[in-house]
Amino acid sequence: MTRPGFVLEVDDRTPPLLVHEGLGFRLEEFPQGTRVIYPPESLPTVPDVEEAIRESLENPVDSEPLRELMFPGMRLTIAFDDLSLPLPTMKAPDIRGRIIEQVLTIAAEKGVDDVEIIAALALHRRMTDAEMRHIVGERVFRSFAPSGKLYNHDAEDRSNLEHMGQTEKGEDVEINKRAATSDLLIYVNVNLVAMDGGHKSVGIGLASYKSIKHHHNAKTMVHSRSFMDHKHSEMHSSAWRMGRLIGEHVKVFQIETTLDNEVFGKPYDTLLKREWEWSLRDQATVLGLRRGLAVAPQKMRHKMFHDLRSNYGLTGITAGAVEPVHELTVQRVHQQQRVKVEGQSDVMVMGVPYLGPYNVNSTMNPILAACMGLGYYFNSYLRQPVVREGGVAILYHPLDEGFNTLTHPSYVDFYEEVLADTTDPALIGPKFEEQFATDPWYVHLYRTSNAYHGVHPFYMWYWIAHALDHLGDVIWVGGNPKAAARMGFRSASTLRDALEMASSTVGPSPSITYLRNPPHLLADVR
Amino acid sequence: MSSFWKDTARDVRLMKRGWRWGHRAQVPRSAEPFVPPATTTVFDNEWSRKPAARAVREVAQAGLEAVFRSQVKTQVEGLDVLERLDGPVIFVANHASHLDTPLILLSLPDEWRRRTAVAAAADYFFDTWWRAVGSSLVFNTLPIDRRGGALANAPGEVLADGWSLVVFPEGTRSKDGTVGRFRSGAAYLAIEYGVPVVPIAHRGTYAAMPRGVSWPGKDKAGGRRQLTVRFGDPLRPTDGESVREFAPRIRSAVSRLLDEDATDWYASMRRAAEDRTPDPAGEEIAEWRKVWAATESPDPEPDKIRAWRR
Repeated sequence: MTRPGFVLEVDDRTPPLLVHEGLGFRLEEFPQGTRVIYPPESLPTVPDVEEAIRESLENPVDSEPLRELMFPGMRLTIAFDDLSLPLPTMKAPDIRGRIIEQVLTIAAEKGVDDVEIIAALALHRRMTDAEMRHIVGERVFRSFAPSGKLYNHDAEDRSNLEHMGQTEKGEDVEINKRAATSDLLIYVNVNLVAMDGGHKSVGIGLASYKSIKHHHNAKTMVHSRSFMDHKHSEMHSSAWRMGRLIGEHVKVFQIETTLDNEVFGKPYDTLLKREWEWSLRDQATVLGLRRGLAVAPQKMRHKMFHDLRSNYGLTGITAGAVEPVHELTVQRVHQQQRVKVEGQSDVMVMGVPYLGPYNVNSTMNPILAACMGLGYYFNSYLRQPVVREGGVAILYHPLDEGFNTLTHPSYVDFYEEVLADTTDPALIGPKFEEQFATDPWYVHLYRTSNAYHGVHPFYMWYWIAHALDHLGDVIWVGGNPKAAARMGFRSASTLRDALEMASSTVGPSPSITYLRNPPHLLADVR
Repeated sequence: MSSFWKDTARDVRLMKRGWRWGHRAQVPRSAEPFVPPATTTVFDNEWSRKPAARAVREVAQAGLEAVFRSQVKTQVEGLDVLERLDGPVIFVANHASHLDTPLILLSLPDEWRRRTAVAAAADYFFDTWWRAVGSSLVFNTLPIDRRGGALANAPGEVLADGWSLVVFPEGTRSKDGTVGRFRSGAAYLAIEYGVPVVPIAHRGTYAAMPRGVSWPGKDKAGGRRQLTVRFGDPLRPTDGESVREFAPRIRSAVSRLLDEDATDWYASMRRAAEDRTPDPAGEEIAEWRKVWAATESPDPEPDKIRAWRR
């Protein structure tokens, strides 16, 4: 029996609550009356994953069975979500690999020779062979990678981009040429949160900068309220317009999967449990982890966390036409993550963990930490933000991991040059974006190394534009004061100090809501 | 490194306080509706009524008595009723504190005490092996499913073996010191196994050690708290009397005894005859007033003229 999510009100019986902060976590004693949002427990998973995949491919929604869409001599392209999903990386076998194997089994039976498999990473970094192999599985990797038929999408390869036209709002639609000129494009999704999937998959995952810039900008992001609600998100509206245009040119067969909330495997699964239900063993585990992390060097802590593999189970899989498939997916994600919350609060507290979509096997630099907290967690709502307009966000993260110059080279310059000049998302775009996006060195690193695109840090800053527009103050507990100040925020050593600092904005006894995330949650604020 | 140990000590203190080490864990009030139903593993304790365990219990209860008497004062009345009985009985008492069980057991004459088991909540006293062993050895507890499920050690079998049984029909300790609803388990056992019910009323245990407190407190002068316990005349189900009819009679007997303990025997009998025995559930008043009243230790001799002020 899955217990629903609920809102806890901290009282005298409430033990200290776990708050993530980068490569560690703390136990925080929240003021009495603080609301804490706990997501529902994991939904039951499908009893037989292989059978569920087979069933979805044979009985798709609003589409012929996959088998009937294939024929000898066709051009078949399979695209899949990159390593930014799920978080943390799934224990092998990854669900995408299992799906792709079944798709390829059908393709082989139908005599399809021309097959290419593309990691739809948009402007994310190229994945390494090992990362790619982990996702698609050894069998698929060995069959396609050596011959160059399994590869990362290259948004800067002009020879392999197809301009498909403009939407009714004048948005350029330019995607991977191979995908655009296929007889069938199959997209394999992992829908970890409600913003994933739908027309965003092909329309963004396989697109170029020219196309993406239409919705990845400060203006659109401020009006995406929220990203987790595609019907009220400007970014998704733009992606939907683009997706429908793409659909006029190429047949897209969408496969979407939803996962339960088993974010961590043992022994870290304790971190997912509700604190007052911790057994003595759980308490000993937490105490041991905390003390171990306290003496471990940064490198070891990084390894401890980044070697973690999630225990996600499949709660559902749907295939077929993009929009009806996505509707069913969103319902399942909501079922897993939605929590009803009555009213907004003055202060919102978030613990930013060690991992976000853009630092898998890399470091959580201050910009990514800001994006994770103020971009993803802040936007994990339906209807209205958890915090009222003019309220305060208190985040936990040390902001001390520095920058990984292999994966995030342009972030360093963004931090040193752009943020030193202005932190206003509306200003940095016109002034600096083009320069970073077209810088030949960044383009070179994106195409040949494992670097995020030069423009990527701008997108992180645009992600937080809605939060910056909405909030009166942002305070980082335990955050490096210099890093916080560079980003236009303040830092405090303790929650008590942070609340004291926030009192100038929200008064001395504000209402507080803490998002107990992970496990993933979506606050439905009434 | 010294900061490491300092932080470790701070973490340990934080966890000790937060998770109430040495005490039962508490659930935040707003999370109570979401607590999953307990899936208790009940540990069998038939061994605890074998001769070896009885020998150990004799020693344990001697130690318990010494500690108990050092912490509280007791006044026991009405034990003469036991002289008129020779078989197993069911002792039925109100329940306000963890002190109730030792109070009743240690008030019994030795020959009765040695043959008396205590019905205890299986989900509370038998959820871990060490709790099961500890409570069985010291108190001769018997696991009872408060939710009405069947358990291996049916209390009936224990009664049939000649053991008396202490039952707290409220099923849990009082939250405010008043007496709650009586469940019908004791009445059922009495009818089913043909054993008499001896009502017991006690006062003062709530004041001495209410819920959430793990050791008896002292009175205002720093002295031991007073407890009183009173045994009533045995009740037997009449011919054809149903459980539904017998259960209220048991509760009325406990109520009258409480009244007697607070006033005197004759006055309580007069009130009972006129059906004016005060309801021990208390009046419809604010909870704090009930708690307030219950936190006052009973005075066993209210009219005694004292030479010295206490």
